[in-house]
Amino acid sequence: MDTFLNALSFLERVGVRRPVNFAKTATCNRQTGSFYADTRLMRKLYLLLFCIACCFPAWAHKKITICGITFKNVHLDPDPAPIADFKTLVVPIKRAGNLIIVEATVDNLEGNFVLDTGAPYLVLNETYFRDAPRIEDEDAGGVNGQAGSAFKTYVRNFRILDLQYSRLTADVTDLSAIENGRGIKVLGLLGTRLFSKFALTIDLFHNELYVQRLDERNEIPETERIYRNPYMVTSFKYDNDVVFMKGAINGHSFLFAFDTGAESSLLEYRITKKTGEDMEVISRSKLTGIGGSVFEVIYARFDNLRIGNQVFMKNRVLLTDLEKMGRVYGASIDGVLGYDFFARGIFTINFAKKEFEMYIYTNQ
Amino acid sequence: MRRAKYIGFILILLFCGMQNALAQSPNSLVITGDRLVLTIDLKSSSAQIDSILKVAGIVAKTSAVKKDEFAAINNDGWQLASQQDGIARFERLLADADYDPQDMPFKITAEIPSIEGKPGYPGQVEFGINKYAKMTVMELASGLTRFILPGFERSKRVFLSGSFNNWSTLKGLMTRTEGGWILDEKLDAGVYEYKYIADGRWMTDPNNLQSVNDGAGNTNSVYFKYNYKFRLAGFAAAHKVAVSGDFNNWDPFELGMQKKGTAWERRLYLGDGRHEYRFMVDGQWITDPANPSKISSEEKNKSDDKYAYLNSVLKLGEPVTLKLEGRQAAKTVVLAGDFGNIEAADLKMEKKGGSWVVRLVLSPGNYDYRFIVDGVPLRDPANPHYSVKNGEEWSFLAVSPNYTFRLAHHARAKKVALCGIFNNWDPSGYTMDHQNDEWTISFHLKKGKYLYKFRVDGDWVRDPGNKLWEDDDGNDNSVLWIE
Repeated sequence: MDTFLNALSFLERVGVRRPVNFAKTATCNRQTGSFYADTRLMRKLYLLLFCIACCFPAWAHKKITICGITFKNVHLDPDPAPIADFKTLVVPIKRAGNLIIVEATVDNLEGNFVLDTGAPYLVLNETYFRDAPRIEDEDAGGVNGQAGSAFKTYVRNFRILDLQYSRLTADVTDLSAIENGRGIKVLGLLGTRLFSKFALTIDLFHNELYVQRLDERNEIPETERIYRNPYMVTSFKYDNDVVFMKGAINGHSFLFAFDTGAESSLLEYRITKKTGEDMEVISRSKLTGIGGSVFEVIYARFDNLRIGNQVFMKNRVLLTDLEKMGRVYGASIDGVLGYDFFARGIFTINFAKKEFEMYIYTNQ
Repeated sequence: MRRAKYIGFILILLFCGMQNALAQSPNSLVITGDRLVLTIDLKSSSAQIDSILKVAGIVAKTSAVKKDEFAAINNDGWQLASQQDGIARFERLLADADYDPQDMPFKITAEIPSIEGKPGYPGQVEFGINKYAKMTVMELASGLTRFILPGFERSKRVFLSGSFNNWSTLKGLMTRTEGGWILDEKLDAGVYEYKYIADGRWMTDPNNLQSVNDGAGNTNSVYFKYNYKFRLAGFAAAHKVAVSGDFNNWDPFELGMQKKGTAWERRLYLGDGRHEYRFMVDGQWITDPANPSKISSEEKNKSDDKYAYLNSVLKLGEPVTLKLEGRQAAKTVVLAGDFGNIEAADLKMEKKGGSWVVRLVLSPGNYDYRFIVDGVPLRDPANPHYSVKNGEEWSFLAVSPNYTFRLAHHARAKKVALCGIFNNWDPSGYTMDHQNDEWTISFHLKKGKYLYKFRVDGDWVRDPGNKLWEDDDGNDNSVLWIE
């Protein structure tokens, strides 16, 4: 019965109303423990769900599993827009290795989240959210679901200081690799969709993140601009909640994903024959990954990486196989611009205008 | 003439350039097209060959490589492409590497070892004193520590973040008061790093004169919560009194004492362990008249010491008594184990009322120990907790434990042990004690993440009392955070 109550409570939380007399009935049922009463309740619930299904036929069909009980064809609103009672919100950030950590609150749980533009939306760590309600998106076309994710869920009352989300869709997946690699408790990843209506400015020199509301032209209002005269400006493609930037190595064009969760820039090993110039190898080593699998790490250095209107020198990249990642991103990528790239300056990502700016630049 | 000078200058420049070229190693590892190309000049120095093999991640003996023996290089997947004039060129296809492809970049990069240790969390220090321009951090009678940030009246919110609250940017919300912000924190004695966050912006404590660079590009303020007071009664007529010891390299000026009533005092943070110290009263060294524990240079048997001296001895930590019942026929019983800075003489056990006894003062932590009875090692028969190392049994002792692992039921089990990252997952584990239908063992655990599992008569069991666990390639390990 508790399980059943939990299920009902969850449905209520995600936008499905509980019948007015339900709580009373449930209490009676708990006292009598009668199977008949259970069945009657179940019928009521299904009837309720059926009614909602009839009322809102346009939305996606979803299946919710809460504590082992599955409800089919549940209709859920899309995530509501966040409440942002500010023009500019300054959020202190922390660092773990080369990761950018932002603290947030989920319901009453406070903790660390990785600011990860390589993640499409909110991703929660399975260790702490294993018992969250499971939602299966029956018509997910493959691009929305994170590959390798354990399941999809919803959270309520997600808050980064004054930036509040009443409800957010999230993937629950195993993030123990980050915890064990960096020695920091990680509740999840903050993907791009959380900020799709904002501009983010990240100042790694002062460990500050600025979340800014945009005007009707999708610009940061002139009075709110913190940095002016950017060193580099480039537009980007924002597909499947991933930031794609065009760039060139030695004049040869390539497509990069921009990822603040990548502690090192990555380059697809298959494209080295197209770059037209030798790359110096800094190191080649073997590491032990999750589950004891041994993998190879080849670090290389190259000059002449053009992004936007600027050329970046002495770029450090880790060579790897990006095919699998490309499949998840829905586009074949040649590289990932990670820490080595973005740590060179203070940068702004305007998700609405699809523009990236970098303000200070150290060509080292 | 001017032209000749110019030509001369150019020649010098060219010569300098040549020098550089000559000094450069002829060895290289580059990516050319679809392959790695390793070039080794077999005539280059052993150090140069060593260095390039290291870059290439090849474990091979340099001496063998110099003698054209390339088996180790070949075994690593390299093909000898050419060898001419003592220069060997090896190739390896980039496609042959094991890349461990992942769907998200962090899954690759999180595996790369972290560069630094743990910035922002101070390591152990011998001692410390606070230096403030204005006393804005103070100890309250309640035992709490009050942090005050004067000013910032216009700020919407101010947080205190430091090593004591895991550098949380949310937990340390300060309270607005007239003229500033305050927050009381419960701290144990020790050293802490901290900062304030006013409206999202990090800042060091403007009134604290002590700061430290955390090695990751941040400057943090430092606070010591005191745990000890040196006190010297009398000497009312003295002008200058100071304390010094091995903890501050016997600096006689650093730790001046203040006159409080009829005595001189100095409060400070002093790390656990054994310390030798003396007072200096108007230029004269004296031992602590209130402390009977003293050691002389002769006792320390250091004949190389220039001057004879007598030091007071102070032991800070938790008193521990270990006892071995019986064994009355034994000639000597000695305690063995790694107890840090403890003199060998202090580990000798004494016969007292039918048992052998030793008293120690230990820092909080976990210790493996055993008794050596007339040269024969023996696990403490009175202690149910032990582990097995290299086939030998060692008793286990946690001083000031802060966490107890518990496994209910399993009453019929013969042996229940705790295994985890603290013992490198050695399946023999630390044996647990069975009482009141529960198996338990206590540990002193530092802040951080611990993965563990129980082993019940040889079967791995995830902690049923802990909801947190993670999957490691099919192994479900319990997760514990000490925060």
